[in-house]
Amino acid sequence: MNALDTDVLVIGGGSTGAGVAWDSALRGLHVTLVDRQDFATGTSGRFHGLLHSGGRYAVKDPGSARECAAENRILRQVAADCLEDTGGLFVSTPEDDLEYADRFLAAARAAGMEIEEVPVGVALRDEPRLNPKIRRAFRVQDGSIDSWKMISALLRGAQAHGAKVLPYHKVVKVIRQGDRVEGAVMEDQRTGEEVRVNAGCVVNAAGAWSGQVAQLAGCEVGVRPGKGVMVAINHRLARAVLNRCHLPSDGDIIVPVRTVSVIGTTDHPVADPDDTECSPEEVHQMIEAGELLVPGFKESRALRVWSGSRPLLPKTEGAAGAGDREVSRSHTVLDHGARDGLEGLVTIAGGKFTTLRLMAEDTVDVVVRKLGRGAECRTRTEVLPGSESHHFYWIGNRQQEAESDPPDDPLICECELVSQHDLDTVVARRPNWRLDDIRRALRVGMGPCQGGFCAFRVAGMLHQEGRYGRAEANSALREFVQERWKGVKVISWGAQARQTRLDRWIFEGVYDLEHLPE
Amino acid sequence: MGTDAVVLGAGTAGMVAALRLAAAGASVLVLAEGEGGLPLAPAQIDVLGYRPQLILDPLGELGGFLESRPDHPYRLIEAEEVGASLEWFLELSAPLGYTGSPHLNRLQPTALGALRPTCLVPETMAAGDLSGGGSVLVVGLRGFRDFHAPLLAENLSLAHPPSGAEVRARSVEVSLLGDPRDLRPQLLARRLEERPVLAELGREIRSRLEQEELVGMPAVLGLERSHEAWQRLQELVGRPVFEIPTPPPSQPGQRLQQHLFRALRRLGGEVRLGVRATGYRRAGDRLMAVRVVTAAREVEIPADHFVLATGGIGTGGITAGADGELREEVFGARVSRGGAPDQPLVEYMATQPLDRLGVEVDQEQRPLGAGGEPLFQNLWAAGAALAGAEPWREKSGEGISLATGYRAARLAGGARA
Amino acid sequence: MTELAWGAEAWSEVRASLDRCIKCTVCETACPVAAVTELFPGPKTVGPQAERFRTGGQSPDLSVDYCSGCGICSRVCPQDVRIAELNSRARSELKRERGAPLRDQLVARPGLLGRAGRPVAPLFNWAMANSLIRWAGERTIGIHRKAPVPRSTTRTFSYWVGHHVGTRSARRVVYFHGCSTQWYEPHVGQKVTAILEHNGYQVVIPKQDCCGLPLQSNGLFPAARKAVTRLARQLVPDGTSDLPVIASSTSCGLMLKREAREILGADSPELRSVSQRTYDIFEFLLELHQRGELRTDFKPVPLTVAYHAPCQQQNQLIGKPALEILRLIPGLRLVELDRSCCGIAGTYGVKREKYEIAMRVGEPLFADIQAEGPDLVACDSETCRWQISAATGATSVHPLEILHRAYGGS
Repeated sequence: MNALDTDVLVIGGGSTGAGVAWDSALRGLHVTLVDRQDFATGTSGRFHGLLHSGGRYAVKDPGSARECAAENRILRQVAADCLEDTGGLFVSTPEDDLEYADRFLAAARAAGMEIEEVPVGVALRDEPRLNPKIRRAFRVQDGSIDSWKMISALLRGAQAHGAKVLPYHKVVKVIRQGDRVEGAVMEDQRTGEEVRVNAGCVVNAAGAWSGQVAQLAGCEVGVRPGKGVMVAINHRLARAVLNRCHLPSDGDIIVPVRTVSVIGTTDHPVADPDDTECSPEEVHQMIEAGELLVPGFKESRALRVWSGSRPLLPKTEGAAGAGDREVSRSHTVLDHGARDGLEGLVTIAGGKFTTLRLMAEDTVDVVVRKLGRGAECRTRTEVLPGSESHHFYWIGNRQQEAESDPPDDPLICECELVSQHDLDTVVARRPNWRLDDIRRALRVGMGPCQGGFCAFRVAGMLHQEGRYGRAEANSALREFVQERWKGVKVISWGAQARQTRLDRWIFEGVYDLEHLPE
Repeated sequence: MGTDAVVLGAGTAGMVAALRLAAAGASVLVLAEGEGGLPLAPAQIDVLGYRPQLILDPLGELGGFLESRPDHPYRLIEAEEVGASLEWFLELSAPLGYTGSPHLNRLQPTALGALRPTCLVPETMAAGDLSGGGSVLVVGLRGFRDFHAPLLAENLSLAHPPSGAEVRARSVEVSLLGDPRDLRPQLLARRLEERPVLAELGREIRSRLEQEELVGMPAVLGLERSHEAWQRLQELVGRPVFEIPTPPPSQPGQRLQQHLFRALRRLGGEVRLGVRATGYRRAGDRLMAVRVVTAAREVEIPADHFVLATGGIGTGGITAGADGELREEVFGARVSRGGAPDQPLVEYMATQPLDRLGVEVDQEQRPLGAGGEPLFQNLWAAGAALAGAEPWREKSGEGISLATGYRAARLAGGARA
Repeated sequence: MTELAWGAEAWSEVRASLDRCIKCTVCETACPVAAVTELFPGPKTVGPQAERFRTGGQSPDLSVDYCSGCGICSRVCPQDVRIAELNSRARSELKRERGAPLRDQLVARPGLLGRAGRPVAPLFNWAMANSLIRWAGERTIGIHRKAPVPRSTTRTFSYWVGHHVGTRSARRVVYFHGCSTQWYEPHVGQKVTAILEHNGYQVVIPKQDCCGLPLQSNGLFPAARKAVTRLARQLVPDGTSDLPVIASSTSCGLMLKREAREILGADSPELRSVSQRTYDIFEFLLELHQRGELRTDFKPVPLTVAYHAPCQQQNQLIGKPALEILRLIPGLRLVELDRSCCGIAGTYGVKREKYEIAMRVGEPLFADIQAEGPDLVACDSETCRWQISAATGATSVHPLEILHRAYGGS
């Protein structure tokens, strides 16, 4: 068995884990990060993409609002390349209490948010699809996050400071020496080989799966996965993030992310964080809810449906299990030494994407104290790779690039404007790409046709370059088609039903995928 | 100077019905929202390929197939008439060199290298029937993103035709038109009509040929002058050359479409595109006119006979609403799931809820109203508008369109007489 | 009216139609421009595909400027995506952000050129025929030196109208003649009037200005909107608010029928009313014929005429009524040209950087005409006639000139 030594072993390659890796690496610690799958495949890659201004929590949870407002400001400084500065609006729809709007404004100011009430006419001019019956509107600093870009930048930054990252490495055993965790054994999900990592400290950053990881170490973390359903609409219905100005509920945010508008979300407790099925009822609930913010929302083309599992931590867990520093109401660092008498293990639970940096800082502060070494946190000011120019990305970037691409760089995915060169660059980074990993990295297959045209191209090219064997290419294609079906089967109406028909005709009619040899 | 027959839809079924009516002397107007599936389709004429086992004699096995699929559109038509429609098509499409027999499926490679059963193919694909095995040099074109010769050839080498014969395939890649570029299929097809470009391709292929008996390449061998391009390439290469269909857009599909459009024009018929039919006028049990939208206003187009060939869910002839409502858009004809399940299945490669969607018709192909009675005495449905088929999985699409379009014209003609 | 960076027009039905695109590529197979140049990546690419990447105020793509606006994509799209209309709006946004070159400002204002040329018509026409001056024009303002330009006339159509004693009748129509009739081809207007009067109509010809189409196709939307709204008012002189409005210029007729509302988002009570009542001259005559009201006292016209239905006529979705009417004329040998576009697309083909593209687009049509060698080419659109004549040397006429001849005119 291969073995390696590291200061900090981070389990989980979502936003939290990537943030912890970046923070630790900047403090001069050697980090190894593992994930059972590709990075950003869990909750981080399955959220609505909102960079919170804090508005959503202003009234209900002022502490979280303050954190969001502060972290939002920091991320804009250090991670511009992963963000789009869409701005946001909180609007009082006819169903929202006007008195709440006053409380909202006061609470937002108290939380340190930049907020400005705008005349309804101005809001409607800026956002012509917005419900004309809104009665008040507030402009806030919401934005949208490209989660894959952010996590990728954090990991690349960590790697530049010596970190090692291992996707598709599932923890099969946590190594304990008495009441001390000394590392873990990972199984490579593609080769079956095992790797042993000896670590000074293990950080359980598995989010909604952190209960499962803690169990391997022999302790309990009472994380409760809460499923949230989201629906992507084919194009941008609004320029800014649209929020209902009321106490947060289901389906009250529409976030413009890249080419689509995402409506979210719901909150249902589930036993298994891998339960990502979306029921037709949940989908219809979202579609109906959208009508209140954008009349005609129902007629817009629903592109895809998915759900993610929030890593919810009951208040009791936070209070009882807090280490020596309960830093936040929205996330909690569990020092298992203080809590369970098990040294060498720290769990970071709860939290949200927007506060990933703060979560990492709080976590690594505990780790540094335990290890007895490591510098001060630097993530407040250290700019992530790719963000050096401090330019936010914007929706037209890819179109602009496609325009200037040389003519010998064909588009592979026409919906999301991914070129051959983009594909080559990404697959050169590491071996063993699943088509779904490439999708996350490049948005291949995430547009209107949901892979109908591009999946074949990517599989064929990777085969031609020797990255896939014949059978691998066939099964990669089958797997991708199957995976895409999961997100469209409950929205087979309107234009997407027509698209499904064309895609099936291509896969089954033109290629006869069904009768292809294994 | 009225119109005898209005055909709604310009896909295979609509064009077949229009051509048959026009050939019988009717003045025919085809109205369509846009071009149908023809410019996208491989232009192979499928009749029946899987039941779900591989079928070798489509017409011969039709009866057996219908026993397990009593809702299938083929139930409406005698096997002889299916055969007659195919014979008629062979004659009509002689300039494109269509060949094949309704009693014998050919096994032609797909762009992924599966061997796919189909019935009639144009001359440019004729040599690609590998039912009896063969050795093929698969030629890829660098920079053309919709054809991947190595994967195709490797898959094809594992194909097992029922004859037990062996299929061998090897791939090469050829650079054309200078360095690799983004070779869009339309542009490629046009350039391959130029003799020097074709000669370059021919030279390249010839120099890389080993023992292979056949040469397969993506179906981009010209558009207007494909016959010349294909013939010339065969001469240059010294082997039979055949085209392999690519994903949309399809050059063979466009060739067939142009051929059908021109044939109709020669018979005095007209195809009017961009026209959405929004309603109709009835008198008793007869359809008197359809209402269409022009640039300025809605107008009525009266006719004696009408054919509904607007397709199914893929082309918008039938729509599915978010609330689950299924609608035939022009006449509100009764829509059926054709025996498909109500809820989606997890497995993609299965019969899904909308896969067999279509209008319900009586034995005479007349769409039914809510009460189960024919909507009109003089409206007949054809092609993908009919419920009950899964054309892409069972490989039956063109056969259904040909046979039902052909029959719709006969029924309308009978009514006319 | 100020233009909004992210105005209501960005959220029209036209934009919403992008949701219906299933990427099928039918439009790409039919686009005559993409077929001949790699500078234009195709209607799907710059239309519904690019639209998902656009926001108001920042146009990420320039290649949409190579769309000629012929509208074939919208017509062949089986999903009713308003592709050409999306492109037209995107082009407008581009021009709004970056400014339109003087050349586009000039060709977009036919009245301006017409007025400038009229008093000195012989000189103007000489200048337009002078290759040195045309070369200078290409270098300085970007109008291709070989591009077809009309001949200016010393007597405008309105001058003729002022001296014309029309017939009086209870059956009346309003005639929308358009700029080319006014400034360059007054004989077309005279013949339209004669044909309508021959069929017992009194022809009301109000004073009228440009419909704004060239402004629109050059992306100058605010000016175009103003122009078409003004025209609509001019076309409703007292007591004519329910009369048919007859157009003899197909592209300008289409502007009134649909594009003003759909592409420009222009709206006024007069425009809505005129829009509903606008007829292409042959559409109107065919309806007369279908009611048995068209006079068919035709003299034989022993000519071979090749008919080309221009794109903007096809985009009216009324079939080819000129063809049906001309078929009634004895002795006339009529050849239907089965090609989509001549390339000119209004003012597209006169521009320096697009001239060659336009000529390649028209190549199959020109070849058919040359192979046929007809006595005349008939085409409903003025710019297409000029293009065809310039490219083939054939004499081209409006089909109503042939009808006029059949009625005994000269």
